[in-house]
Amino acid sequence: MNLYKYASPAMFYPLAGKLIPWFAIPAALLFATGLFVGFFIAPTDFQQGDAYRIIFIHVPAAWMGMFLYVLMAIYAGIGWAFNARLSSMMASSLAITGAMFTAISLITGAFWGKPTWGTWWVWDARMTSTLILLFLYIGFISLQAAIDDARRADRAGAVLALVGVINVPIIYFSVQWWNTLHQGATIRLLQKPTIRGSMLAALLIMLAACWLYSVAVVLIRLRCIILEREQNASRFAEVGV
Amino acid sequence: MNWPDLSMGGYGFYVWGSYIASLIFFVWEVVSLRQRKQKTEPSAVAPGKSSSTGAAIEVDPALPRTVL
Repeated sequence: MNLYKYASPAMFYPLAGKLIPWFAIPAALLFATGLFVGFFIAPTDFQQGDAYRIIFIHVPAAWMGMFLYVLMAIYAGIGWAFNARLSSMMASSLAITGAMFTAISLITGAFWGKPTWGTWWVWDARMTSTLILLFLYIGFISLQAAIDDARRADRAGAVLALVGVINVPIIYFSVQWWNTLHQGATIRLLQKPTIRGSMLAALLIMLAACWLYSVAVVLIRLRCIILEREQNASRFAEVGV
Repeated sequence: MNWPDLSMGGYGFYVWGSYIASLIFFVWEVVSLRQRKQKTEPSAVAPGKSSSTGAAIEVDPALPRTVL
């Protein structure tokens, strides 16, 4: 089976259409399961009370915001380096969902910060670097929208995405490098997590739901981008551009 | 199974506020994507083909030539 043929937007378009329900339906089921475990199974935190339940949307949204930016930069970089148009389209498609998750993490963080820290916002390292991530997403989307020629827009966006990717490790390690109001990581790959099992389960189920949701909406948007560019290409061809 | 108090121990505004704000974002993304899809798909489909499935696009010979 030749998988390289799916690097062509025209060949990937029908495949994306077939894949979307396989991600969208499990995403909906996992959102329902994650919220059920988070609200009905996970116990009340002894320090923060029920305010901690914001974690089940805040942390997955923050992780997705960072993960999607790295993915967007990789796709934009591949599109730029190899002139792979589908990769550039994928980067464009990822940007809006990534920006949305980053905005959710900032807003839910403010809702969590008020009862626990006594303030909606503080210019600490993690919050400031996450705000910069949102600005990078907005910059990428605006830059692409401002340039009519899709290939030039892809190249300009790729430069911004690749430069901005340096911000992601800054967000991740900010709690170690600077004194911030955020606590250190409670979930690590090689160590036992320091939160209760049911809380961790709800968190991971919501993370899986957010990941599946992202794949579904990114594929739907990618199909729209493929068609829009096809229409623009036809229009340019008609006027001889 | 614990039945959570809707007031969330006095933190209801913050907990429900954060989930409602998130829901607004998800709904906005899905609705705007649906509108974009409806705006894009009909004009790209070959005459006489249905726009509700990707099958029409799959057999549309115009797409590979221009997108590639």
